[in-house]
Amino acid sequence: MTAPIPRVMVPGSVARNEVFAVKAIIQHQMETGLRTDSSGVTIPRKIINRFVCRYGGIEVFRVDLHEAVSANPFFEFHLRATESARLEFIWEEDGGATYSLSHDMVVA
Amino acid sequence: MSLTRRHMLTGTIGTFAWLLALCPRRARAAEDFVEQWIGRKATPSDRLKLVMPAEFSTGYTVPMDISVDSPMTEADHVKSVRVFAPKNPLVEVVQFHFVQGRSLPRVSTRIRLAAPQHVVALAEMSDGSLLTAKAWVAVASNGCL
Repeated sequence: MTAPIPRVMVPGSVARNEVFAVKAIIQHQMETGLRTDSSGVTIPRKIINRFVCRYGGIEVFRVDLHEAVSANPFFEFHLRATESARLEFIWEEDGGATYSLSHDMVVA
Repeated sequence: MSLTRRHMLTGTIGTFAWLLALCPRRARAAEDFVEQWIGRKATPSDRLKLVMPAEFSTGYTVPMDISVDSPMTEADHVKSVRVFAPKNPLVEVVQFHFVQGRSLPRVSTRIRLAAPQHVVALAEMSDGSLLTAKAWVAVASNGCL
């Protein structure tokens, strides 16, 4: 399996109090733990089980993922532009690995 | 047997009666499911919108849009929305948590479905009430393997 690659799309700048869309995706197999390999052995579950978005250090959106979220989990969600601050995106994988991205949001 | 007007008429009435008898059961299914699964009653509501395609070619990546009509004020906001696929081998799909004043209860993603089924959404409001909505999705292939 290739290393998961996270990507995020946010607008370049937004006006204060405006609502903006965020698209976040991570390349990830999302192995459900329901499949077996060719010799009949169950392939262990390995999914992204949590996605968190922080804005200026505060959690503003969170997702708890179960097995039924598709491979390469994608979310489009909506935030209110409260201040110029750092947006952080964190994906947590089974087994404790995390993948993250950040972006400095400019609020005009 | 010849197809007379009488046959047509009784047949049509019979079909409608059967559909009418079936509808209330189907309409209740989402609420019953929620009550069984989490042990609390939820109210079916138009404020919670679960938009999914009625038919989809693959069960691997079925698009899903969720929104809740809410002022998102301190007094009245959405805390979270959970999604269930009752016919999947693992019923829980996803849970979204929103933050009043910071995020809007509007989100899109893609999910796996094992079989044609009613997908159920459940919104938990700030006053503790539960709203539910469902969407019928007929997938042509099992997306859970």
